Amino acid sequence: MAGDATALLDLKGNLFIVWSELVKNIKFLLAYPIVFIFWAIFPIFWFIPFILQGQAFVGGLESQSFAEIAGTPEFIPFVVLGSILNSYVLTSLYGMGESIRREAYQGTLDYILSSPCNKAFILIGKAMSESLASSIFAVSQMLICVVFFGIQVTLGIIMPIIFIIILLILGLYGIALMLAAASLQFKQAHDLAHSLEYVFYLFSPVRYPIQSLPLWAQVVGKLLPLTYALIAVRSLMLLKQGLSAVYTEILILTLIDAALIVIGFYLFNRMEERTKRSGVISQY
Amino acid sequence: MVHSEDSDVYSIRTVNLTKVFGKKKHRGIFGFLKREERKGKSKGEKSVTVALDHVNLEIRSGELFGMLGPNGAGKTTLVKCLSTVLIPDEGTAIVNGFDIMKQTSMVRASIGLVIGGERTLYWKLTARDNLMYFASLYKMPRKQAKERVEQLLELMNLTDRADERLEDYSTGMRQKIAIARALVHDPPILLLDEPTLGLDPVFSRQIRSQIRELCEKEGRTILLATHYMEEADQLCDRTAIINDGKIVAVDTPNRLKAMVKENELVEIACYNPPPDIEAYLRNLCPKVDIITLIHGEESKGTPSRIKIIGGNAEERVSVVLDALRRRNVQITSLNIGVPTLEDAFIKLTGARLTEGG
Repeated sequence: MAGDATALLDLKGNLFIVWSELVKNIKFLLAYPIVFIFWAIFPIFWFIPFILQGQAFVGGLESQSFAEIAGTPEFIPFVVLGSILNSYVLTSLYGMGESIRREAYQGTLDYILSSPCNKAFILIGKAMSESLASSIFAVSQMLICVVFFGIQVTLGIIMPIIFIIILLILGLYGIALMLAAASLQFKQAHDLAHSLEYVFYLFSPVRYPIQSLPLWAQVVGKLLPLTYALIAVRSLMLLKQGLSAVYTEILILTLIDAALIVIGFYLFNRMEERTKRSGVISQY
Repeated sequence: MVHSEDSDVYSIRTVNLTKVFGKKKHRGIFGFLKREERKGKSKGEKSVTVALDHVNLEIRSGELFGMLGPNGAGKTTLVKCLSTVLIPDEGTAIVNGFDIMKQTSMVRASIGLVIGGERTLYWKLTARDNLMYFASLYKMPRKQAKERVEQLLELMNLTDRADERLEDYSTGMRQKIAIARALVHDPPILLLDEPTLGLDPVFSRQIRSQIRELCEKEGRTILLATHYMEEADQLCDRTAIINDGKIVAVDTPNRLKAMVKENELVEIACYNPPPDIEAYLRNLCPKVDIITLIHGEESKGTPSRIKIIGGNAEERVSVVLDALRRRNVQITSLNIGVPTLEDAFIKLTGARLTEGG
């Protein structure tokens, strides 16, 4: 549709839409204060199984055989970084995919559809609010790592890490737009998001180094943006390597992002038109 | 952008607008099996519903135009097509001079929408937050949006409660906010789908009066889809009657009612009507459909009633009254039942407005 194409190119207007959506969703979160208790307590509990697991398997929190593959003997910081970045996968995929369904339940979807803005930016705003929640969670976990596990976070690596996380999130938003497109047609994206979550969990080095996977699985893992983000962040934080050591990962991540975002926008806009034509968009 | 010249005359013009929906497929494993069972029986037949069937309408600028029809007649589908929420299968519509198929953004900026009952706002947000959010979807600058929202809250008499969450509002108050939302970007055209549905009489009256003012004082074009005939009758300059996706008639409410003037009801309350009065009057008025005498308890002061249905009341009233006087019938009152839009609707479609579907 001509109108949508024009709306897509209005960068300032679209950023404004993203911001408004983000603010709206934060207000929603504030309407349910119980969620803050979850954010405050859960990061602490999250560590306990890993500490116990370490005690049971290797009698402590370090393993030499782990160091041979991962480059670091401390598997808890390794897994924490995996978990932090993986939490962005969860919030992006579930947040955006299901948000259309929520709008339909709230009866507000028709109003969003009848407004002149490009709807993909509304979804990005929604996903950003979820990413913000992930970031609060990540900061809590990182603080625990610094205090209890001696991870050193210098100002010099904070900015590159934030940059890598942003790159990861952009790629994830591309995938989430595809899920949102599926949600328009099939009225739910939860199961699809669940399946994708496990693909990321299995084939990306969230809990173990990618070298632990069989060769074919490593090939699959190298198609996922999370893999490159994890390798880059761990190299900076755990292996104390410089930014120059992760240029390749950043470049590949950027290319994957570009492809995923273009495909995501294309599929979402196509599916919006298709479901408006079939009438499925108005069904619940 | 092409802005059609006749948009000065017509705010909305539909040309053969058609929307067809495929029937829902069976879902789940049992549904799949059912579908397999039925395959042989309905081979080749495609189950579809024609929601809009070549609808041609011309709504003038500044007009309050009613769309009267029962549930399932196609009113909401028409509103959704005009608001670009649905894409028609055939035909098109020009809204404020813009084609709904080609200039969607311009169409969307030209319309304000009220659709879908009570739950169409964010109940966990305040009225002000809701309006500010929807203003942002139209990319209104923040300062301008703030001013507009204040204006609208004042218009709706809700300034004092603007910072309360909508979950604490009554249904009527929420509907006022829904109308304020439709106005937030100051559109020249409003599409209102059952705006008084589920409201109590007080709020219904308030909303109706606001709708009238939006048209008369602010010059907005309003398409009001409703199944309440009084609403269409009281508010609308012209009304279209829609049934099964087809426009059956378009005219002023009075002219539509005039179509059924021959069905006017005359009711005469009287004492001492002779037993043969029905036959006597039937001879005098052969075009009348029904003449009935309903005996009252005259000794207790309840008069008998003669009901005459059919024919033109104005033509027959004097004839009937003269005849009754000649037969020494004591007449106490005379009522002429004015035909309603529902009568017009029944005559035109053969269906009742209150029917579900």
